[in-house]
Amino acid sequence: MLVVTYLAYFAEILPISFYLIFLKRNRGEGLWVIFLYCVLSLLTEGLFVLIQQQLVFSGFIIVQFGLFSYYFYSTFRQKNFRYIALLGSAVFCVVAIANFSNERFTWIAESLTSILVIIYCILSLYEQIKDPETVFVYRNKKFWVTIALFIYFSSTLFLYLFSTTLSREQRHMYWAINNFFEILKNILFSVSFIIIKDHSTPATMEYIDN
Amino acid sequence: MTLLDVTSPGNVSVVLFFGTIGMLALTIGLIVFIIFHQRKVIRYQMKLQKMEQDQQKLLLNASIRLQEEERQRIAADLHDDAGPLLATARLYLNENLVNLDKTTQLQSIYNAKQIIDDTIQLIRNISHSLMPPTLKNFGLESAVNDLFQKISGSGSMNASSRFHDYRERLQAENELIIFRVIQELVNNILKHSNASFIHLTQNTSGNKFFIRLHHDGRGITQNDFIKLNKSNVGLGLKNIQSRLKVLHGKIFFEKDMSQTYYKVTIELVKEEEDKLQEQE
Repeated sequence: MLVVTYLAYFAEILPISFYLIFLKRNRGEGLWVIFLYCVLSLLTEGLFVLIQQQLVFSGFIIVQFGLFSYYFYSTFRQKNFRYIALLGSAVFCVVAIANFSNERFTWIAESLTSILVIIYCILSLYEQIKDPETVFVYRNKKFWVTIALFIYFSSTLFLYLFSTTLSREQRHMYWAINNFFEILKNILFSVSFIIIKDHSTPATMEYIDN
Repeated sequence: MTLLDVTSPGNVSVVLFFGTIGMLALTIGLIVFIIFHQRKVIRYQMKLQKMEQDQQKLLLNASIRLQEEERQRIAADLHDDAGPLLATARLYLNENLVNLDKTTQLQSIYNAKQIIDDTIQLIRNISHSLMPPTLKNFGLESAVNDLFQKISGSGSMNASSRFHDYRERLQAENELIIFRVIQELVNNILKHSNASFIHLTQNTSGNKFFIRLHHDGRGITQNDFIKLNKSNVGLGLKNIQSRLKVLHGKIFFEKDMSQTYYKVTIELVKEEEDKLQEQE
């Protein structure tokens, strides 16, 4: 268990390193937002070890949602989807302000973040497959970022939803799920930062696997 | 009290386990579906693209074959007609001419002159068949009227044409393309339809330019035209299609309302013509 926890912590360094190594190919497409999120996530983990205060996590959840909202808002092409991202942010702000003093704030905010990010991911994937310029969706950096967030938040949704009802031992036991998908998320982010942008169009494409 | 609050602690593990597995399965299922769906779409696009390429290839082959046939015809005309004529003229003007008596010399020169005149006429005819002078000098309307008068004059068929709105001439190259299309259509009617009359009308409607051909013989419909275009036969029709493609024009083959006559409509957009003009 402890190994997975350490691995999850160090896995945070992977996307940061790859982003900096392949800085040139990661310009544009709002990838800096994901890079910033990875840096903040790593710093929060470190800070929490030092300070051990819930406020650190609460602050991080708010910033995290803000970054994801901005990322999806800037990458959505359809106006309606942008409005949905704005509406989601408004809902999150209202809920966050109303429950900030609540001791369950982390639980509420994290659960809401998961639900909203899952919705954004579905919209983003829908938009990507509808995009006529996309030849192979998996050669797109945005696709890997989206599935990283999609898998992470849908796998940990139930964990956050039930986190208040779990005992300390249970929480400790089930936290491995979070750690495992944290590693997976960082690997997928790294893939996104490593791959080269796909410039092929359907007209120039000469082959396809059968 | 929320639903989560009423979940008993014993059930929490089960719900959490199955909930997480379920969500993960849904997510992975959705991602796999997206990838396969996209591949399917790409395959479909590729198929469409290949079909279009095949069609282009057919049109190109037809155009090349037609060009070759035209070259062969010109070569045959020059070789079979102009060649022997010039050879005969050369015979009259051979080296022995100076040794002959004056009357024979004059006769030979006169004969050679006659043959050279015939050759000039022959070459002029070839040149006219390549580019009708009426079309070049007076435009599509005059060239079509001229063509139809010649057909009527032969007595085999009653041919008439009427241009309702052709005050502004199209670009010369485009007039030639339309004229060739009309020639090809008329040729087809003469060869295959057994018609007793052809009537051509020209109209404009907004920015659209129409040419309609009616005849009372055997004709083809749009379905036949599409089928012939996809097959290896119907060289002339493919040629029509490729010529009209240059002008971004359309052609429709149909039976008219009374189901008595066949109608061919050529439709061009005048703006396209202007754009082509601007490009040049």
